[in-house]
Amino acid sequence: MRVTAPHLAHLWVGLKGTLEELGVESVPPPPTSRRTLSLGVKYSPEGLCLPFKLTLGNFIEALEAGADTLLMAAGTGTCRLGRYHLLQKQILQDLGYKFKMIPLGVSEKKFLGLLHIFKFITGGASWAKIIPAVLLGLKKYSVIDDIEREVNRVRAVEREKGAASRILRQAITAIAEAKRPHSLREIRKYYLEKLAQVPRNPNIQPLKVMVMGEFYVVLEPFSNLDVEIELGKLGCEVHRNLYLSDWTKFSFFLNPLGMNEKQRVHRAALPYLKRDVGGDGWESVGEKVLHAQDYDGLIHLAPFTCMPEIIAENIMPTTKEDVPVLTLICDEQMGKPGMLTRLEAFVDLIRRRRKAREKAAI
Amino acid sequence: MVTIGIPRALLYYQYYPMWLTFFQELGAQVVVSPPTNRATLAEGVSRAVAETCLPVKVFCGHVVSLIGACDYVFVPAIRSMAYKVHNCSKFLGLPDLTRAVVPESPPILEVEIDVDQGKRALYQAIYSLGRRFSCNPLKVKRAAQSAWQAHQDYVARMRSQGLTPLQVLEGQSIRDETRGYHLSLAVIGHPYLVYDSFVNHRLLERLDRGGVKVYTPEMVPQAGLDEAMAQIVGQAYWTYEAEVVGAGGYYLENQVAGVIGVAAFGCGPDSLMFEMVERRAKKLRGCSFMSLMLDEHTAEAGLVTRLEAFLDMIQRRRQVTACG
Repeated sequence: MRVTAPHLAHLWVGLKGTLEELGVESVPPPPTSRRTLSLGVKYSPEGLCLPFKLTLGNFIEALEAGADTLLMAAGTGTCRLGRYHLLQKQILQDLGYKFKMIPLGVSEKKFLGLLHIFKFITGGASWAKIIPAVLLGLKKYSVIDDIEREVNRVRAVEREKGAASRILRQAITAIAEAKRPHSLREIRKYYLEKLAQVPRNPNIQPLKVMVMGEFYVVLEPFSNLDVEIELGKLGCEVHRNLYLSDWTKFSFFLNPLGMNEKQRVHRAALPYLKRDVGGDGWESVGEKVLHAQDYDGLIHLAPFTCMPEIIAENIMPTTKEDVPVLTLICDEQMGKPGMLTRLEAFVDLIRRRRKAREKAAI
Repeated sequence: MVTIGIPRALLYYQYYPMWLTFFQELGAQVVVSPPTNRATLAEGVSRAVAETCLPVKVFCGHVVSLIGACDYVFVPAIRSMAYKVHNCSKFLGLPDLTRAVVPESPPILEVEIDVDQGKRALYQAIYSLGRRFSCNPLKVKRAAQSAWQAHQDYVARMRSQGLTPLQVLEGQSIRDETRGYHLSLAVIGHPYLVYDSFVNHRLLERLDRGGVKVYTPEMVPQAGLDEAMAQIVGQAYWTYEAEVVGAGGYYLENQVAGVIGVAAFGCGPDSLMFEMVERRAKKLRGCSFMSLMLDEHTAEAGLVTRLEAFLDMIQRRRQVTACG
């Protein structure tokens, strides 16, 4: 069995670790590239969103590389993503590939569901082997995310542009190779110290910007054209409303116990949107209401034709809580220069707004 | 007497008799917005965010046209109509979206229908809606029961007599079989696209005048829908999946020479469902399939050209098969 799954941020760092521990052969798709995108676009119905096209492209490239077992997110009650595995299976079969598709309903079955999937993939390995391996994978995500949070802060003020990103890349390589939780702790400490030593430009007063919106396009840098790095270059300290490790921590462990990290966000959204609309639409409205005071501006990312985010886009301008929001629609037509122009204009706007406010405060 | 406004858009075509009975039993008056016209569409398009799908824009336009004509506008949030079957975001967020896009609309009367949550929650939702008109729970119960009965009758009439929702709502009783049709086609899609003649540029009328007998999803027997659904997608994922995938799958193998799928541009569920039907049509090869994508820029001439070409193709295909 040669297992593969689509790329999603640093998903493969942890997944590969877990699969290696369990002795399962894995075939990570080649890094997402223009080729991945054009393959995905070529074989997808045009009305589907970017996440569908990119994951399909990943699958095709992984199948070319010899994978035969595909893992894909599934489950009802989300957006149409829950149904993607069915159509992708058909498309790939019609293309003549031989494979087995395993839909992952992880958001319903929580951690136990995840463990059972690994039990299935390994062909019935013992729990004593599976549980530590899965926990190691999850630990890797949390270390990456701790470092990435810091990197997003440093990027805005570093003297030499690109220094923080370089450290992040080194850290990810080290984390991918780590075999034990103990060494992960050391890696975390080492790279956080290294980041603290990055020379900074004291003249820059960073703007605080939050990147939020739909799960996939927020997490996957290829799909949002590295919006975080570009914002960093423009002198913005970037905060993200979701990280892979937060998501795994809550949806696998804490949500079943009745704890919901999003409760605050949902409550904030209530006056404007009373119920979950699938995907992350409810959260997008809530984040705006909740954090209007905390940030200079919000970047709202959504794939083209994403239904929940369209609802959010319609509702967001009507909230009392006022903060500039730039909605960036991500699809295969998106070009970097166009995005940069919009980002620069937005950053100029929020900088001027901040100055005006500081003046008014004096 | 309280007047309730019902926009002639989205779920109107599916549930109007039910809603009408419910509100009338509770002593309210019901007004329906006029059929979609240029002004309705322009109003909706100018208000909603550009990306929003056409049916929702049309809906907002209808809400605008109800301003001043009623005390409340009825906008339900239909979350699910069966266990583990969910609905498109636009139906879940509809009341809040309407409030945001049409801030001056009359107060919105909303109810959350979520069958997935069980019967108790459903009854409570209906009661909390009815309580606004009557504090007598029995009266609300009676109204709900006769509303459900009205809905069942409506569905049964369409199915048994082969009528479209428009024909039933306009009070036609029997399908006019005297006219000589030379071809049968099925038009599948959501009722708010198939029956809104402004949005689809009088598609049904054009076909009818061209001597084409039109079948719609409402005329498929339940067993036929279930069988086609099971064959193509297994279990339903979307609430209104049967009217596209079920009906599409059924008609590809029964009764008609061709199937026309009507979808809105940017519709999330449709993008998946029509792809499934199209792939099925390719596999079966017996029945022609054409998909028509509608949005506010759809031009009448373009639509007519495609329709003519499709009909010509079917005719030619028939001649070829007839010649052997």
